[in-house]
Amino acid sequence: MMGNKQKILYGGFLLILIVLPFFLNSRWESVATTFLIYSSVALSQDIVLGRAGMFDMGHAIFFGLGAYSTAILNTVYGVPILLTIPVAIILPLVFGIILAAPIVHLRGDYLLVTTIGFNIVFTQALKNNVFGLTGGPNGIFGIASPSLFGYSLSSQTAIYFMAFFLLLLTLFIIRNLETSKIGRALHYINEDSLASECVGINTRFYRLYSFGLSAAIAGLAGVVFAVQFSAVSPEAFNFMQSVLFFTIVLVGGPSSIEGVLLGTFFMFVLPEMFRQFAEARYLVFGIAMILIMIWRPKGIWPAKFGRIPKYFFKD
Amino acid sequence: MLRKGLLGALALIVTLMFGIQAMAGGIIKIGVQAPITGKFASEGQSIDKAVRLIVKQYNEKGGILGKKIKVYTCDDEGQAQKAAVCARQLVDDGVIAVIGSYTSTCAEAAEPIYYRAGVLQTSDGTSDTLVKHGYWTFFRNSSPNSAEAAFTAEFFIKKQHYKRIAAISDYSTFSTDLTNAVVKDIKKLGGNIVYKGKITSGAQNFTPILTKIKSFNPDVIYFGGYYTDGGLIRAQMEQLGIKADFVGGDSNDNPEFIKLAGKAAVGAYLVNVPLPQMLPYDTAKKFLKAYKAAYHEMPASIWTLFNVDGLRAILYSIEQTKSTNTKKIAYYMHNKLKNFPGITGPVEWNKNGERVGSAYMAYRIGNDLKYHIVYRH
Amino acid sequence: MDIFLQQLVNGLTIGSIYALVALGYTMVYGVLKLINFAHGDLVALSAYIGLVIMMQLIGVVSSKAVIIIAVFIFTAIIISIFGVLLERMAYRPLRKAPRLSAVVSALGASLLIENGIMLIWGPMPKIFPASIVPNINWNVGGVYISLMQLLVLVISLILMIILYFFVNQTKLGAAMRASAIDQDAARLMGINVDKIIVTTFIIGSSLGSVGGLFIGMYYRGIYFNMGWIYGLNAFVAAIIGGIGNIPGAMLGGMLLGVFNAFISGYLSSSWALALTYVLLIVIMIFRPTGILGERVAEKV
Repeated sequence: MMGNKQKILYGGFLLILIVLPFFLNSRWESVATTFLIYSSVALSQDIVLGRAGMFDMGHAIFFGLGAYSTAILNTVYGVPILLTIPVAIILPLVFGIILAAPIVHLRGDYLLVTTIGFNIVFTQALKNNVFGLTGGPNGIFGIASPSLFGYSLSSQTAIYFMAFFLLLLTLFIIRNLETSKIGRALHYINEDSLASECVGINTRFYRLYSFGLSAAIAGLAGVVFAVQFSAVSPEAFNFMQSVLFFTIVLVGGPSSIEGVLLGTFFMFVLPEMFRQFAEARYLVFGIAMILIMIWRPKGIWPAKFGRIPKYFFKD
Repeated sequence: MLRKGLLGALALIVTLMFGIQAMAGGIIKIGVQAPITGKFASEGQSIDKAVRLIVKQYNEKGGILGKKIKVYTCDDEGQAQKAAVCARQLVDDGVIAVIGSYTSTCAEAAEPIYYRAGVLQTSDGTSDTLVKHGYWTFFRNSSPNSAEAAFTAEFFIKKQHYKRIAAISDYSTFSTDLTNAVVKDIKKLGGNIVYKGKITSGAQNFTPILTKIKSFNPDVIYFGGYYTDGGLIRAQMEQLGIKADFVGGDSNDNPEFIKLAGKAAVGAYLVNVPLPQMLPYDTAKKFLKAYKAAYHEMPASIWTLFNVDGLRAILYSIEQTKSTNTKKIAYYMHNKLKNFPGITGPVEWNKNGERVGSAYMAYRIGNDLKYHIVYRH
Repeated sequence: MDIFLQQLVNGLTIGSIYALVALGYTMVYGVLKLINFAHGDLVALSAYIGLVIMMQLIGVVSSKAVIIIAVFIFTAIIISIFGVLLERMAYRPLRKAPRLSAVVSALGASLLIENGIMLIWGPMPKIFPASIVPNINWNVGGVYISLMQLLVLVISLILMIILYFFVNQTKLGAAMRASAIDQDAARLMGINVDKIIVTTFIIGSSLGSVGGLFIGMYYRGIYFNMGWIYGLNAFVAAIIGGIGNIPGAMLGGMLLGVFNAFISGYLSSSWALALTYVLLIVIMIFRPTGILGERVAEKV
């Protein structure tokens, strides 16, 4: 459970997020909103990558499925944004399980390669305008703002708080997962899948479960993304985007909430801050990624899983 | 955690109440949405500079309706995702009109936001869909793809008398739309399309698709994408022994095309609007002179000048209507503004916000590797 | 029929470039069990460096053959140095770290090289001079073959044969195979594994540099970010053949090139890329060790 120190940390963090928009101009407010959305996606990616230990490099698919569900339902069929949410959660969830089913037994790198493959097929399908719905390479424009009790929530601040609730919900789900039977099972599978199978854990079930859950969260994040940018396009969900989420988790610290949040800040907000250095920033970034991995191979803020007593080690 | 949630909801309500900003008093605000950084940086910066130049000229004469004009610039980096954010920002800043963006995709992504806020928008975007939404706020200041397509089709059927036509595009919005429009217009004129396909921009190896096209035995291959691919397609046509002509859309018009295609560039045709230096109008000469004096360079391309015409027409309409009410200005621009002397020729709009008239030309690359005009209206 | 043959020639040309690049992936994977994401960017870098050397030589040396040979040799040396530096700085410190840390480091290295190229040479494409390889075309029964294509095919084939004999017939090759199977056991047999890894990077980078130069000389236009496309395709080729398997990478490259050409030639060019990856997924699901990879029991 949460220690006192952690409670203060989280409370302070959330408080800062609540007052933050009142100190930012609209450009930084939109950066902050995107930070909240990406954090949620990265946290959901972490369920598969960090907690279940599956090298998934195609997470942008589920994020994109959610965003495109909302975009298509809203612009083609005129469904209000809030009513598109169930579809934007269920569709990625179903896809997550269908895609994962034949591949969860693959070991590390093979799974990674297959998910890259899925992601490239996904973006290519979006570009080819499948079923005449995805709008081809330019994507879909003119997604409406959601409205609540007749009020249109179209200001940047309103969208910021939508993203804030998204992150809150994600944190809530992940905290629950951590302390649940499922969370522990995933942890065992990650540590040693063979041993966990031997003690009677249905590894296949839990792995699919983690894929489904993380796809659902990413799908919901997709809804907020579609609202924030009022446009979706294949580039926003391509393989490079998956690489970004993958890197965020590993640079920050797998299975560590604080780490993933820091990772998102490092990989997304920092480049925005150094915008005036335009292209040079990514060069520096490449170097930073290498150095961080060398100095902190388990991420900037690695997860702690209770200490193993000293007498377990021989010397 | 619940308490924090309630606090958030409270904050949200407070924000909504303060969300509506007071309108500006003593100044008129104009927005520029353009790719200041990224792939199209030179074009975006040129548009921004030109707008600021025109505004400076106005302000030196005492502004407009007795008010000074102020310019707000937002960088959309040429990315659709950033465009919507920019639009929201400029609307928050309280601008009444926006110049931009340079790319069709960005203009289109921002369109509904300006429309909902009642902010005028004028863009050089050539994609036909820009005027299909029925937004009264949008005015295209260049010629649409459909105008280039109609011209290209005429050139193919009436001038060159091609009998078997193959058409290729890449995956970008611009290229797909343009190529589709060209194919449609060629069919309308009774032309025979034997093949239509797509390439992945930057793939470099186009021999598979060209080999396939060769089996259809075309007498011309049209390419509606960018010069980086067009030059290679032209070179690989020669390598595969394809004797057909090559006609490239406006984005093949770049000196690098000739370098990429090598010797194969000779005999290729390009369709485009004239270069800035080729404009015959007095306003054009005057503006280019002022621009050169201010920035010691020429505008990046003719697209800058199209945007300047959009801005000039809007400012003129504000003066004529003596109003900053965008509905009134838009009504004037749709119905009353006729033959406004623009830099790129006479400016006027139809009911959809489509600019009337176009000025396309077809060039052939000669043995001297220079452009020779072979067809114009 | 001549269309079929022409597509085959097209496919084999690009396929042999994929094969050269795929060898770099597969050899590194063999000894380090690491997907070297930066390899594709080294290939792109080699095209840029080759162009610089070529432009320097064109004014000084008159014989085109000499220029071409010099460009190949010097570029291979320079890229090998980069490859060794990459291993030393980004991968060696992480050999004991979690597997994924090395993957992130590789991605970082890729970002570094790609953006380094862009900062030095700019975002617009650079163009190889058209006249360096004489523009000769043969028409063999309706199938067009250019001198450049022939060079690509023949040189790739020769290099792959040399590599095959090197790995299978020499002492160093045997050490390399031993290190790939079990590093600790190899070390116990007195093999200097670090030296073997460095050798692997030198060979992989040189073969990649030949691939990069072919891209530049055959297609002429080179882009700072082209490493990703070629890298990914070559990587898929390595997997089709069975990652870690050297003849597999050669076969995989050729097959992928031909597969691509036939898909865009006979089915749909819009779906060619997607179908390539569908093929990859199918292979991963049904035969994850690739065509030539052996089915080995998972080490527990």
